[in-house]
Amino acid sequence: MKDVRGDVVRRQLAADHNVHVSEVRSIYGFLVNGETTAEPIAQRVDDLFADPIIEHGAVNTILLATEMFSGTPDTVITVGFKPGVTDNPGKAAKDGFTTLFPDDKNATVATYQTYAFYGLPDEIDSQWLAGTLHNTLIERALVADKSACSHQAWPELDYPTPPEQIFISPQPMNLECDDATLEEISVNGLLALNLEEMQTIQTHYRDEGVRASRNAVGIVADAPTDVELECLAQTWSEHCKHKIFASKIHHVDHETGEDTVIDSLFKTHIMTPTHDMQNDVDWLLSVFHDNSGVIAWDDTWSVCMKAETHNSPSALDPYGGAMTGIVGVNRDIMGTGLGARPIANTDVFCFGPPDWEGDLPENLFHPSRVLRGVHAGVRVGGNESGIPTVNGAIVFDDRYIGKPLVYCGTVGLMPRTLPDGRPSHIKTPVSGDVVYMVGGRVGYDGIHGATFSSLELTEESPSSAVQIGDPITQKKMLDMLLEARDEGLITCITDNGAGGLSSSIGEMAEYTNGCEIDLAQVPLKQAGLSPWEILVSESQERMTVAVKPEDQATFEALANLHEVEATAVATFTSTGMFHVRYDETTVAYLPIEFLHDGVPQLQLESEWTPPALAPFHPPSEADHSTLLIDMLQRPNIASKETWVRQYDHEVIAQTAIKPFVGVKRDGPGDAGVIAPIHGDPHGLVISCGIAPRYSDIDAGAMAAAAIDEAVRNAVCVGLDVDKMAGLDNFCWPDPIESVKTPDGRFKLAQLVRANRELERVCRAYRLPCVSGKDSMKNDYGSGPDKISIPPTLLFSLFGDQPDVRFSATSDFKRAGDRIYLVGTSKQELGASEISYMLKEQGQANGIGGNVPQLPNPKANLDTYRQLSKTIHQGLVKTAHDCSEGGVAIALAEMCIGGRVGADVDIDGTGDGDVWARLWGESLGRIIVAVPQEHEAAFLALMKGHPTTVLGTVTASSKLVITDGEDALLTTDVEGMADAWKGTLDMTGGVA
Amino acid sequence: MKPNVAVLFGFGINCDHETKAVFELVGATAERIHVNRFIDGDAELEAYDILAVPGGFSFGDHLGSGRLMGNRMRYAMRDALQNFVQAGKPIIGICNGFQVLVKTGLLPGPEAGTAPDFIQRGSLSLNDSGRYEDRWVTLEFDPDSPCVWTKGMTRMECPVRHGEGKYIMPTSEELDRLDANHQLTVRYVDPNTVPGEGRTDQQLPYPLSPNGSMRNIAGICDSTGLVFGLMPHPEAIYAQWLHPHHTRDGAQTHGLGAMDGWEGEGLQLFRNAVEHVRSNR
Repeated sequence: MKDVRGDVVRRQLAADHNVHVSEVRSIYGFLVNGETTAEPIAQRVDDLFADPIIEHGAVNTILLATEMFSGTPDTVITVGFKPGVTDNPGKAAKDGFTTLFPDDKNATVATYQTYAFYGLPDEIDSQWLAGTLHNTLIERALVADKSACSHQAWPELDYPTPPEQIFISPQPMNLECDDATLEEISVNGLLALNLEEMQTIQTHYRDEGVRASRNAVGIVADAPTDVELECLAQTWSEHCKHKIFASKIHHVDHETGEDTVIDSLFKTHIMTPTHDMQNDVDWLLSVFHDNSGVIAWDDTWSVCMKAETHNSPSALDPYGGAMTGIVGVNRDIMGTGLGARPIANTDVFCFGPPDWEGDLPENLFHPSRVLRGVHAGVRVGGNESGIPTVNGAIVFDDRYIGKPLVYCGTVGLMPRTLPDGRPSHIKTPVSGDVVYMVGGRVGYDGIHGATFSSLELTEESPSSAVQIGDPITQKKMLDMLLEARDEGLITCITDNGAGGLSSSIGEMAEYTNGCEIDLAQVPLKQAGLSPWEILVSESQERMTVAVKPEDQATFEALANLHEVEATAVATFTSTGMFHVRYDETTVAYLPIEFLHDGVPQLQLESEWTPPALAPFHPPSEADHSTLLIDMLQRPNIASKETWVRQYDHEVIAQTAIKPFVGVKRDGPGDAGVIAPIHGDPHGLVISCGIAPRYSDIDAGAMAAAAIDEAVRNAVCVGLDVDKMAGLDNFCWPDPIESVKTPDGRFKLAQLVRANRELERVCRAYRLPCVSGKDSMKNDYGSGPDKISIPPTLLFSLFGDQPDVRFSATSDFKRAGDRIYLVGTSKQELGASEISYMLKEQGQANGIGGNVPQLPNPKANLDTYRQLSKTIHQGLVKTAHDCSEGGVAIALAEMCIGGRVGADVDIDGTGDGDVWARLWGESLGRIIVAVPQEHEAAFLALMKGHPTTVLGTVTASSKLVITDGEDALLTTDVEGMADAWKGTLDMTGGVA
Repeated sequence: MKPNVAVLFGFGINCDHETKAVFELVGATAERIHVNRFIDGDAELEAYDILAVPGGFSFGDHLGSGRLMGNRMRYAMRDALQNFVQAGKPIIGICNGFQVLVKTGLLPGPEAGTAPDFIQRGSLSLNDSGRYEDRWVTLEFDPDSPCVWTKGMTRMECPVRHGEGKYIMPTSEELDRLDANHQLTVRYVDPNTVPGEGRTDQQLPYPLSPNGSMRNIAGICDSTGLVFGLMPHPEAIYAQWLHPHHTRDGAQTHGLGAMDGWEGEGLQLFRNAVEHVRSNR
């Protein structure tokens, strides 16, 4: 019987490290910690731990010493979790164990994996090998090298017993000290509060009224408790309060001479435009204030969407960090309104080059390992939750080695009105409602995630900030909460993410103006957690739900049915106070207003000088056929199919346009389209745009390009441009000038420019941003070795698709169809993929020059609206967006999808030179193919919009491109497909 | 009265919504029922005409796909399941549901004429590729299969979405026995073969066979033909707009009804079972 688990290890060693091993065998081990003896377990081993048909099970036996393993392996490595780390298979095994041995209620199970290597090359160090198989932050490994194996000294892990936690009663934190000490308290406590914020807290406790009210409830009067200080640090963290987006910015532009003050980028450039648009349409139901933005989709249903990043955790533990990212944003959807059902995920990643051969800074993983881990995390998180991944992207740049970006988005669906008549997008808590913590328990894992992510990554970053998600616990909770919602049991719901209970209950308490929490009620993973830890721990899979007192019994019975833990931990009040007790002792007593609005506004400096870059001059002579093959192999362009196929993209039976299209289902999909109501072809488009390298020239252009790309992609599948909404997710390097960040003013100016373009383009496109997020400390290290990511805006879009039966895909359909370019190619090769490639190949000096701009977005929108009409009328079934690699790459991908050729002439497609028209990335361009019988109708609809005939789809299996009479390239379709699909395969073969 | 379908959910089953929907589209009444309601006695299996165990990741597939859910059903619903089959009522397991039915021993089950004995005879192991994949496959049905679900069906395209779909039995004699009874109901085939002539015992290469199953087995039934399980997802092609080629060869005309000209090939499978229940009344 084939040992696939072992063989996957063998293949990955070959693919990632070029290490070739003859064979790898695997053992799945279970450590049972309970009262049941070995004998009864041995009798049932095939009922639970081993499959009687395909596996061999044994109890208290070293399988390596049995006839199962003939011959002495060269190395044996056993990997298990460190104590306290989430062990999902162990948790499932415990559940199964309880089914078989119901009397052994307190038994627990931990898992490990053992790999035996045969035919290992002599030069391979077994410790190095172990390093490729585990992450020391969360896992432990034992190694038996060749000599140990020959002595049968097999590695045996003991049960991972977590260290005892010492309960520490709340301590007063003396803040009556000088400024230096205040800063020291913040730094040492990982509070991430600046001096002014510490002083604001200091001042609060000097107020006589505050002291009197504190005396009245028996809490230390003139100083915060550790619980309060931690709670404030979480609530006031950059992660939770978005202080940079809310700051007052003094902005100087040396190019234009502008000198101005911007009071909150968020309010000025994001919130105000959306609220203005909300006045004009009736479908923007809920924007900004909830966990995701909600739009009305039809009379019966509304949809919502949210995207988050999980960059710092993914840098430390790519698998766990990414998994908690995706299941975390799922909870944002569950916590929207009175609860929405997640129906689609999106994943966008930015990594270092997977074939990176340069040095790696301390404590950073190789990009290929980050890719594998992140991908596995979102794969498991999404697939096990039963949510299809319908759209995404993977972007590569050297600077993401310092910090990978992991964007996870989720779309939710909810009935506009619940059975009891309440609108589902409005929370309705009142004072007296009982607050439950539902789902997982609170543990030591996940303490300080919010404050940690507001600090730059260092070698000492804490392991407690890393967690592994548990999708099944969350799925059970989701099933239960949706039933509770439909039964009318929920008055308020939100997720427990950053900041834990302090944030979730704290934010919900704003509705009623107060709450009273008893931390002693909170169920713990292990005893001994101190009150502040219970309050701020970000342990996963938890929702906070408010229920009327009369509904408590029904709610608890439902939780019981679903085997979901639900514990009443708080009550809403109207006292104006965030009141936290541990049993009868008050441990925190903070005014709601101070907690949420007390943080002082940052004052920041921004200064723009355009970066001086060597301009891109293409070589005078070039073989464009060869360039096309080279470009198709670029990681930024190459097919991501190996990775994306491993996501379930069509569970729920709604995905009408899938990530891969065409004859062999390997051409690129431009956007996801779902028809979520079974039997009804009414569709929803989900797309994204991202263009980080344009920031090298101008972050404003980067933002405009991202938005236009998201819209273009959606138009290609038949978006109704008059009903679309967007999400802005900014990932920036630290833009606050400091010793560690001497170029902070420039980075902040980049942020200003990006926001201004975001507003300008979104207003022109009538595209409201309904939700968003920012992550502002994406740097690694400091000093000359500091790595800062390129400023990156991910723009996600969701919008209406009136009828999925009338949509289009990128694959060419049949020979004879006429090919058109909609839009115009301009002389805009700055920061293009071809410029980066030629620079890397030594063929060009720089990447500078004109970056793609969007001078007249209104005209683009009008063109897009017409093009959508041609799709809705069934005239056009083929459309593909032009982005990285321009017209040449778009045509190549369309040929690959259809496994056909095309004869194309790019003459007349714009004023640019041949490089600009072939490889340039000018915005606003879409290539379409039209059956000849629809050509006249198509042209009639596109009259007045830039539409240029390019040529014809052919049966020749060759893509031939000319510029007037000049031949540019001739490339075989299968050759293009091989080039495009090879780079990121990385599987080491199928079997 | 409409046939009444129990669609199980809970513990990580996740195709319950669409499975319920496809039964309703072919004229049944379908209800999502948490497995614990049957186990606790809050709901009675005998009140239903059809049982569907949908796809998903019950218990995260830890300890082997379908194992833990299979154990819960094997221990707590044994009599109810036995009575259900003996009453001539159809059961379907799709993907994770198939894995559950195999691990409970309901599939392929004992020889003809014997009541379900809950002994596991086959298994579903990790795909040869080692990867979970979502990819479309071509299936062909054994026209002589006793399976009530697949009557009249020849060929169908639909997605597989699994990491553990390689069907295995300990000996070829056991496979021969099933084949002789036409219980190897559905196989992966090469789409370039003539419809009706695609089934072969010869191992097809990846990705035609997405997992390396013995004899390219995609699904099997028990000796009665009532209990049927398969790894691919027929419910995922209930409408043609879910087919990856619908922009290439979807219907050009659109009738008044959304499904006019756009019904997917997978729907027939569910209709067959509903019709079977109707005709046996």
